[in-house]
Amino acid sequence: MNDNDTGWLLRVRNLTKIYGDPISNSVQYTGPKFGSNICPETDAIVACAEINFDLYPGEVLGVVGESGSGKSTLVQLLYFDQAATSGEVRFSALDGGQTNILTLSNQRKRHMRNHLMGMVYQNPRDGLNFNFSAGGNIAEKLLMAGNFHVGRIRERASYLLEKTEVPVKRMDNTPATFSGGMQQRVQISKAIANNPPLLFLDEVTSGLDVSVQAKVLDLIRHLQRELGISMIVVSHDLAVIRMLTDRTMVLKNGRIVEAGLTDQILQDPQDAYTQLLVSSLL
Amino acid sequence: MPKILEVKNVSKHFRLHIQNNKRIAALDEVSFDMEQGEILGLTGKSGSGKSSLMKCIYRTYLVNSGAIVLTTASRGPVDLARASEHEVIEMRKTEMFYCSQFLSVIPRVPAVDIVAEPLARKGKTTDEARALARDLLDRLGLPRELWDAFPATFSGGEQQRVNIARAIIAAPRFLLVDEPTASLDLKTKDVVIDLVLALKTQGASVVLITHDQHTLERMSDRRLHLEHGRVAEVIHA
Repeated sequence: MNDNDTGWLLRVRNLTKIYGDPISNSVQYTGPKFGSNICPETDAIVACAEINFDLYPGEVLGVVGESGSGKSTLVQLLYFDQAATSGEVRFSALDGGQTNILTLSNQRKRHMRNHLMGMVYQNPRDGLNFNFSAGGNIAEKLLMAGNFHVGRIRERASYLLEKTEVPVKRMDNTPATFSGGMQQRVQISKAIANNPPLLFLDEVTSGLDVSVQAKVLDLIRHLQRELGISMIVVSHDLAVIRMLTDRTMVLKNGRIVEAGLTDQILQDPQDAYTQLLVSSLL
Repeated sequence: MPKILEVKNVSKHFRLHIQNNKRIAALDEVSFDMEQGEILGLTGKSGSGKSSLMKCIYRTYLVNSGAIVLTTASRGPVDLARASEHEVIEMRKTEMFYCSQFLSVIPRVPAVDIVAEPLARKGKTTDEARALARDLLDRLGLPRELWDAFPATFSGGEQQRVNIARAIIAAPRFLLVDEPTASLDLKTKDVVIDLVLALKTQGASVVLITHDQHTLERMSDRRLHLEHGRVAEVIHA
């Protein structure tokens, strides 16, 4: 289990999140077969269960599914925003993947979040502190990873803002005064501030108008190419998935119903739900 | 010559769950071998299974049964029907290239960068890769002012040139090409044919779909004629 001969970066096994009071059968009586993620006996909600996958260095993995399918829960579990109910997650950048990172102390989880992971949320208010300036938000992430040199922090912040095409002269303004696209770019700057090997993107272009959406997607693609970051991209939008990802997992009622190469998922979908999803593509 | 590809009893159908489980047959027990350095032409009417076969080899389609064994440089024989997704991604990056009938690329990327991309993956610097890309686009007669433009608005023939340039620039060992010369003028057709034949002399193997008799005659060593998803005839050139 612990040998990493195939070179994965992240290995997820049986990751499960249940809200409420699960009984031993909750997982068994929910899922796509039952068309529901609510346990019929206890009303516990099985947000996701039996999630298994490997992510490789530099790989971009897509996660698609409708609202409530568990796709956001999945990345929130991996980013420690929520505690998993059970499962194993191994990250090769930590102990060569020997430790199940779900069992780490909170302090070590924070350390991992600050040094090895980045997250970009759909709502910029989840990823940014609107009481701080744009530069201050990036500084916060750098400080948490142990960078205390003010000059170097400002230098890094302006470098990142420039890279994400946010006017550096707006560095000292709060994101509340920014457009939606700019807020998203500041969030991306913050997420990649410490050069993490792994980045989570949760519906980052939903709610932006199309031309802004295109620019944010181009930025993400460009950063991925240049920095070689592994990414997990959550989206309900198959066009986003097609543009960014190599592989895709389709979630429904908290389970993976299909996983494959992205072009295969789009052109030869096997599962009924994936076929519905693809046929709904405009 | 050693074998590059062995296709054994490949069958493929589509099951449309959202349309009353309708079954659409695509390939029925298709078998053939290819030698290294061979150019194999696939012929047959529209709907006979040519593109489906190509997509099964590339793993864009999953086969229902059968094996597709590619002799790779890095790992020896790999059954593409059963290889892990990561293995297939690796093959696609290093030795197998699919050139589809229509250019489908990432939007808002200039033509020269689309063409240069496979080289960048092979470790060339951006400048080197771009220089080679411009060279190739020049040979294929794409007007210079289009090199830095986005191909989405190009004409069919212009897009085709970008598509072909991208397919051959990194000299893949194993190339799948679907209608490479459709919508090209005769002179450019011959340029494309010569470029692919030059790859062949370097040892590349090519599966070719074309409706163009001239392209077929100049390029293919052997033809596989498909009818209703079956191999109806093998024609040696």
